[in-house]
Amino acid sequence: MTELEACNSCALNNSAQLLKLGINVDHADFVIALAGNPNTGKSTIFNALTGLKQHTGNWPGKTVTRAEGGYRYKDHKIKLIDLPGTYSLLSTSQDEEIARNFILFGKPDVTIIIVDAARIERNLNLVLQILEITDRAVLCLNLMDEALRHHIDIDERTLSRELGIPVVKCSAIKKQGIPELISTIHQVAKRQIICKPHRIKGLSRPAQKIVDKLDKKIRKNYPGLPNSRWIAMRLLDADADIIEALKNGDFNLLLA
Amino acid sequence: MFANLPHLLDLGYLLLSITILLSVFYLIKKHQYSLRWLLPFKHIEKSITEDLLKQLYNITSSQKTTDFRMLSGALKIPERKKLKIFESMTQKGLIQISDKYVKLTDTGKNYALSIIRIHRLWEKYLSEKTGFDKSLWHDLAEAKEHQLSKEEAEDLYEELGRPRFDPHGDPIPTALGEMIAETGTSIVGIPKGKVAKIIHIEDEPRSVYRQIIKEKLHIGAHIKILTSEDDYIDFESEGQSIKLSTVVASNIQVMLLTTQEVYEEGKVRLSSLIEGEHATILGISTECRGANRRRLLDLGFIKGTVLTLEYMGPRQNPRAYRLRNTLIALRNDQAELILIEKKQYDRTGSL
Amino acid sequence: MKENDTQDLLDFASKLRWEVGENFHDNLVEGIYTDAAQIAQKTEIRQGAPNPYNFERKLDQVLTSNKYGFPIMILILSIILWLTIQGANYPSGLLASFFLEFLHPLLKLGASQIGLPWWLDGFLVDGVYLATSWVISVMLPPMAIFFPIFTLLEDFGYLPRVAFNLDSLFKKSGAHGKQALTMSMGWGCNAAGVVATRIIDSPRERLIAIITNNFSLCNGRWPTQILIATIFIGTLVPAGFSSILASITVIGVALLGVGFTFLSSWILSKTLLKGEVSTFALELPPYRTPNVWTTLYTSFIDRTLIVLWRAMVFAAPAGAVIWMISNIYINELSVANLAINWIDKFGLLFGLNGVILLAYLVAIPANEIVIPTILMLTVSQLDLTGAGDGVMFELDSTTETAALLHAGGWTLLTGINLMLFSLLHNPCSTTIYTIYKETKSWKWTLFASIMPVLLGFLVTFLITKVWHLFH
Repeated sequence: MTELEACNSCALNNSAQLLKLGINVDHADFVIALAGNPNTGKSTIFNALTGLKQHTGNWPGKTVTRAEGGYRYKDHKIKLIDLPGTYSLLSTSQDEEIARNFILFGKPDVTIIIVDAARIERNLNLVLQILEITDRAVLCLNLMDEALRHHIDIDERTLSRELGIPVVKCSAIKKQGIPELISTIHQVAKRQIICKPHRIKGLSRPAQKIVDKLDKKIRKNYPGLPNSRWIAMRLLDADADIIEALKNGDFNLLLA
Repeated sequence: MFANLPHLLDLGYLLLSITILLSVFYLIKKHQYSLRWLLPFKHIEKSITEDLLKQLYNITSSQKTTDFRMLSGALKIPERKKLKIFESMTQKGLIQISDKYVKLTDTGKNYALSIIRIHRLWEKYLSEKTGFDKSLWHDLAEAKEHQLSKEEAEDLYEELGRPRFDPHGDPIPTALGEMIAETGTSIVGIPKGKVAKIIHIEDEPRSVYRQIIKEKLHIGAHIKILTSEDDYIDFESEGQSIKLSTVVASNIQVMLLTTQEVYEEGKVRLSSLIEGEHATILGISTECRGANRRRLLDLGFIKGTVLTLEYMGPRQNPRAYRLRNTLIALRNDQAELILIEKKQYDRTGSL
Repeated sequence: MKENDTQDLLDFASKLRWEVGENFHDNLVEGIYTDAAQIAQKTEIRQGAPNPYNFERKLDQVLTSNKYGFPIMILILSIILWLTIQGANYPSGLLASFFLEFLHPLLKLGASQIGLPWWLDGFLVDGVYLATSWVISVMLPPMAIFFPIFTLLEDFGYLPRVAFNLDSLFKKSGAHGKQALTMSMGWGCNAAGVVATRIIDSPRERLIAIITNNFSLCNGRWPTQILIATIFIGTLVPAGFSSILASITVIGVALLGVGFTFLSSWILSKTLLKGEVSTFALELPPYRTPNVWTTLYTSFIDRTLIVLWRAMVFAAPAGAVIWMISNIYINELSVANLAINWIDKFGLLFGLNGVILLAYLVAIPANEIVIPTILMLTVSQLDLTGAGDGVMFELDSTTETAALLHAGGWTLLTGINLMLFSLLHNPCSTTIYTIYKETKSWKWTLFASIMPVLLGFLVTFLITKVWHLFH
C-alpha cells in the first residue's frame, strides 16, 4: 500500500508534461532518461536494459530523435528514454535542444548519465551541466574494460562524493554492472538515495556574484524552483528558448 | 546537313536564352541595392534620405559643415529627385541648408545614429546567428538598415544579448543615441618596436577590407611593429609576419598596450602546430563567433587545455588533434582562429 | 506569475547581462571544465605507463595515410557494392519466384474460387499485391546485405576516418566530409541516406547532403541501369566485350551522379544556402570491436525493415493506380493508353516516350517498379495480348525484353536518356516523405523534389538535340 502511494506521487504527476513532449507514460511507474556524450556506448546500455530494441552505433550523434523502451523491475514498470548523444547542453543544435528540453521540462524520475571511463574529464562537461538541471541522477562509468586495458582506473567512491550522485561501474558490452545499475536507478527513483549534486564552482568571482544576484531574484519570483541557478546562467547567456518559455508560461511547468 | 539546321538553331537559342536569363537574374540580385533608383520615387526616398544622413554624420564628426555641391554630386540619382529629397529633408528638420553648406540638425543627427545602430546590430546578428561570409555583412546590413523598424531593432538588440560592439569593433549607439567615443589610432603612425592591440577594422572600402581579412587579423590580437615606412608597414601578430601597404593598414585601428598588458610573445595559431608537437591553448580568437565558437568550446578547446597534433589528412587538411584523450579533427581555417603556446618537449610524445 | 513580473525579471536579467560582459559564455564553459579537471584529477587512477594507444595510432596511420587511405577506401567500397549487387541476385530471384510465380497464381485461383468480382481481384491481386511483392523482392535482399555491412564498419569506427580522408574534397564544394557517408548510404537507399544525414551537425552542410542525396543511384535504380545498359549499350560492341562495356556504362552513370552531387553542393552552398550556419567538428572515436550479432539484428530492424515498410506503404496504392489506369477503358482505350498518346510528343522532345514518362509518373513510390510498369505499358500500347495484359511483369531473358522494347520504338537514344533520367529525376515518395520528416520544411522538400527532375529534363533535352544533329 505504501509502495503504491509512493509511486502515485513520484511519476504520474508529471505525465501531462511528458505527453506534451510526445511521451506516453500511461502505464509506467517511473520515467528514466539516458544521457551522455556520443561514443560512450549509450545505446548499448539502452539495449542491455531493455533488450534488443535499438541500434548501437560507434558514431557521434546517432540518435537524433528519442528512442523509447521499457523494462520491469520489482513489479514496477519503467519507461526508458534514450536522449541524443551530445557533448554539452549549451549550444543550440537540434539534438542538444531535444536532450535539454527533456531533462528540463520532462523532469524524468532519474537521469542516467553514461560516461566513457577512459575520458572522464571531457565527459564531465556534460555531467556537470545535467547536475545543474536535475538532482536525481546516476552516473554510469561505462567502457570500464577498455579503460582498464589502457591502464586507467576510476576511484568511484571519490567520484560519487565529488558529484553527489551514485556512481556505478559498467561494461555494457560484456553485460557487467547492469544489475547494479538497475538497482541503483531504482533506489534513486524511490528516493532511497537522495542526491546532493555538485554545483559549478569554476566561474570567475564577478560572474559568480552576478549569477547569485539573478538566482536570488528568480527564486523570489518562482519559489521552489529546483534549478534556479542554472536558469540564471542561461538567462545571462541570452538563451532564447528559456526567455521564450518565461514569456509564454511554459516556465511554470518547472515548478512543483 | 540542311535538315539538321533547325535543330542547331533550336539548341543555340535555348542555351542563349537560359544563359541570358540566369545572368540577368544574377546581376539584378547582386546589384539590387544600387539599382534601387529605378524604382518609383516614394519607395526610394526613405533609403536615400537615410544614406545621406549617415554620410553627413560621418563627415560632421571630422568637420563642422559640408559643401552642398560635393554631397549632391556624390548622389547618383536624377537632378530633379535630388532637389526633392533635400527639400523634404529640410522640411522635416533633418538638415539646414545655408549658402552652399549643409548642416545636420540634432534631429537629423539622432536619426543618423538610429540608422547606424540598426546597421551595426544587423552586422552583429549576421556574425552571430548566420553563416554569411564576413565580406558580405556590410552590404547586407546596408540594405537591411532601411527595412528594420525601431521596434524590430529593439527586439534584435535583446535577442543578441544587448551587444556593445559590432563585429568590426565599432561601438553600437544606444537607443537614446549615445555612442562610446572611439579611442584608437591608426596603425600607420605607430613607431617601430611598439606593441599594441587591434581594436577596430574598417569594413569599407570592400577591396581593402578583403585584403585585411585575408591575413586573418582580428580584433583583440596583439601586434608588434617591425618596420614602419612611408608606403608600407611590417608587423608581427600571433607568430605571423604581415606586410601591408599604408593604404590598407590605415583601416586598422589599434591601441597601445597599457602597462598591465603583456605582449604575448609565444602566442601562435594552432594551424602552425606540426605533427607530434604539444601546445597549450591560450584562447579562441574573437573572429570565431556564434555556433562555431560554441562548438569549439563544447569540444574542450578552452584556455589551458593541452593538445597535440596526432596526424593530418590528405592535403594536410583537416588535422586530428588529441585533447583530453579524444581525437578531434578540425579544418585549418578553424585552427587559424585558435591561439596556442607551443610546449618544449621531446618528440617522443610523453608529457 | 504575473506578466509584468516576468518582464521585470527579464529586464533585470538583461541589465545583469550587460554587467557580466560579452564573454560570459566562454567564462561559463571554462568554469565547467575547470571543475571537471579538478574532479578528474582526484578520481583517475593511472596504473603503469600511460599512452597505450599504439594499436589505434598505427591503424590510423595506415587508414588515413596519403598512400593507402584512398586505395583502401575504394577497395572496401567496391567490395560492399559487389557483395550487395551480386549477393542480392540469388535471394531476389528466390523471393520473386515465390511471390510472383508461386503465390500469385495461388492467390488468383483463391480469388476466383471465393468468387471475387474480376475488378476487385485485379485491383487487389494484380495491383496492390504485385506492386508490394515486387518492391519486397527487389529491395529487401540488397538492403539486408548493404546496411549491416555498413553498420559494422560504422561500429568499428572506420567510417569517421573515411569522412576525415574525404573532407578536403567535399570542402571544395562547400560540403562536409561526412557527406561521403550519406552519399554512399544513398547507393543503398536514398531514404536511408537522408536519415543518415543526422550525423552532420552543421545546418548548412546537412541541408546540402539531404538535397543532393538523390544523385546517388539507389538500389531500386541499379537494376534499371544494368538492364538498359545491357540491351542498348552492350550490343554496340562484339558479344565478348558487351558485359564489360555495360558495366563501365553503369559505373559511369553512378560517377556522373557523384559529379552532379559535387556540382549542386557547390552551387547550393554559394547561393541559396550561403546564409545558413556552418560549423565543422569531426570526432574520431577509438576503434572498437563491433558486436556482430547485435549489429546484424538491429540494423535489420532499424534500417532495413523500417525503410522497407515505408516503401511498401507507398507501393501498395501505386500498384492499385497502375492496375486501374491500364484496366479502366474510355472509348475502347485504356486510361494508360490515352495518357501515353497524350504525352508521347512531349516525351519524344526529351528522347524518351510517353510510356517512360507515364511509368515514372505512376511509379513515384518506388523506382523498383519502373521497369515492370514500362513493360506492361509497352505491351498494352502495342496491343499485344498474352503475358502482361494489364499486369506488371518482367521477362526472364534480356533478349525478350530487348525485342519488346525495340518493338515499342526504342532506340539507342531512348536507352541513353532513360539511364540519365533514371539518375536525374524526382526522389521516390518514400524519400520525399523522409526529406520532409528530416527538414520539417515544405520549401526544402519541394526544392529537393523538383530540382533533380528539372535537371533531368534539361540534360535529356540537350542530349536529344545533340543526337539529332548527327542523325
